[in-house]
Amino acid sequence: MDTFLQVTSYGLLQGGLLALVAVGFSLVWGIMNIVNLCHGAFVILGAYIAWEMQSWIGVDPFLGMFVSAAVLFCLGYVIQRYLINLIVNGPVFITLLLTFGINMILIQGMNLLFTADFRSIQTSYGSNSFELGNIRIPLVRLLAFLLAIIITFLLVAFVKRTRTGISIMATGMDRGAARLMGIRARHVYALTFGISAALAGMAGTMIASIETFDPSKAGKFTLMAFVVAVLGGLGNMYGALVGGLLMGLVQAWAGQYLSGTWVNAIAFLVLIIVLIFKPNGLVGKAFYAARVEI
Amino acid sequence: MRNTSKSITGLFAISSLLMFGVHAIPAANAADVLTISLGASVPLTGSIAKEGLLTKEGYQFCQEKVNLLSTSTIGGKQKKLDIVFQDDTSKPDIAAQNLSKFNDKGIKLILSSYGSANVNAQAAVVELNKQTMVDSGGADNAIFNKGYTRTFNVMSPATEYASSMVKAIAEFAKPRPVTIAFLSADDGFSKTVTAGGIAAAKALGFTVIGPEYFPNAASDVSAALNKIKAAKPDVIIGSVHFVEGVALIKQSKELGITPRGFAETVAPPILDFATTLGPLAENVLGSAQWTSTAKGQDKYFGTAKNYAAEFKARFGHEATYHNAEASAACLAMVFAIEKAKSIDPDKVRAALVNLDTLSFFGKIKFDSTGQNTFKPMSVIQIQKGKILTVWPRRDAEAKFLWPYVK
Repeated sequence: MDTFLQVTSYGLLQGGLLALVAVGFSLVWGIMNIVNLCHGAFVILGAYIAWEMQSWIGVDPFLGMFVSAAVLFCLGYVIQRYLINLIVNGPVFITLLLTFGINMILIQGMNLLFTADFRSIQTSYGSNSFELGNIRIPLVRLLAFLLAIIITFLLVAFVKRTRTGISIMATGMDRGAARLMGIRARHVYALTFGISAALAGMAGTMIASIETFDPSKAGKFTLMAFVVAVLGGLGNMYGALVGGLLMGLVQAWAGQYLSGTWVNAIAFLVLIIVLIFKPNGLVGKAFYAARVEI
Repeated sequence: MRNTSKSITGLFAISSLLMFGVHAIPAANAADVLTISLGASVPLTGSIAKEGLLTKEGYQFCQEKVNLLSTSTIGGKQKKLDIVFQDDTSKPDIAAQNLSKFNDKGIKLILSSYGSANVNAQAAVVELNKQTMVDSGGADNAIFNKGYTRTFNVMSPATEYASSMVKAIAEFAKPRPVTIAFLSADDGFSKTVTAGGIAAAKALGFTVIGPEYFPNAASDVSAALNKIKAAKPDVIIGSVHFVEGVALIKQSKELGITPRGFAETVAPPILDFATTLGPLAENVLGSAQWTSTAKGQDKYFGTAKNYAAEFKARFGHEATYHNAEASAACLAMVFAIEKAKSIDPDKVRAALVNLDTLSFFGKIKFDSTGQNTFKPMSVIQIQKGKILTVWPRRDAEAKFLWPYVK
């Protein structure tokens, strides 16, 4: 029983990290119908910013993540406003190509700037854990999990209770109607993309505190975000959290009770099964899933 | 004023004569130089870019040394090494394609990529194109069990990676551990390493736990650790690469798994390992293809210590075994060319088959499958942040610390 509880707690914590990576990706896809293939590059760039802050001036990653978020918000805003906006009315494949190209440029840029050396943020508490009965809970993973929960609830509050958030949701529902209501869609899109990049930056900081990273890992986080977003479903701010937690649990249980080699295969099998019975994802809304502008 | 203008005119005239003379001189030497092109497709970007860049440095260092020091000729011509690099982006299919591109350009002598997956793909193409390749990055025994005759590996085979650490533990660890748990990434190289380690552990009387596998490049190995936690192994041996190696140590601490010692392949000899883990890396054992205490010397690099010192002066960082094995592969190719007195790939291949020499890297000699089974691996231990050789005894520069307290 202890082993099951240990594995389950680890799975939930890992799931929280997955949710943190995916929440920004899901936001952009749900609101703007853009599958952002440079999302993973934003995550890694956020990790590097936090790593530089810690290396040069000793800033703790839980403070450095706000700097990462701010820098990436600006970068995301500019990229969307002056690049992606040029083709946002075009077929979805064009946005895929553009974001793929941006991804390549960012990864190569990071390779040149930071080299391919493996990095990690070291803290005095980085490997600490505490015991809950016979279960060990790693401290940094727990903090990342709590951050994912807090960010999800803040995002929900933002889109439901603030004027800006409601504008974002309205633009996501019907861009034309939103424009007619006086909402500046171009600015709203850029704001959404900026928020998504900022969230990616925060996720990157957490990842840097837990494991090693280098520019080549960007693709892995984009894929992870995509899978979790699909699993959770679009149009619901809790989708990334639910999808992330489920994916974390499935991977943990698969790793424990089957051969470790089958972890990814089992995770994708679960994704397929969920989509067969719930094509819109676990908590997604049909409207968003059906809205494919070709 | 007139004197100044005369001086300037004079200087100009002298400079022009000198420049003409400088350009005139090499025209005679160019005909006496044989440029030997070696093709090297290495991962300069992608998931193994770090190791790929170290490999490139090793090849470059060899090129510079050979071009500086070589006195032997081929067909009366001074030889000049020219390594042509291509980026294979860490992908096996690109690594193989690049060799075909080299073949199209007439480059028949090849220095391998890094990584068993890449080299495995390359070996098949080399065989098809009748090129000749010296391998510095693919140690998996499986590459050499396919009947290939044109690929030669300067490194110790993959089966030695974990077994060397088991032998070191058996020889030096007091009190002697009873149980050894094997955790492994699920790629071909790591599985071969694990099989070799398990065979050595059983032969030496240890009780083996596992092996437990996790996906290659996994940053979460907690499932495998949870599986062996209850058994409380005395030693955990990880057949890993850098990412999994770091995760293994970190997550063991998180999960409260405290064996008497950790031993890992590939990761500990990489300088970033100790930097990334800090105090957690202390006393972790690792296996290395080469250290600066290796025995042997050659006419280009001298001893291992010479190599280490000159490499650091040239590239600004300590030489890793990735650098050294790349230089050794290039060196083997050069020795074979000198022995064959030819750059014909078949003659060079024949010379490699019969090569038996010492070098800064140790013994370079190939068995019937093309593997260098005559060179032992070294075992290192991270002590106070430094990577020190602790086994075999004759090469040791520090005492083997065991058991160690975290």
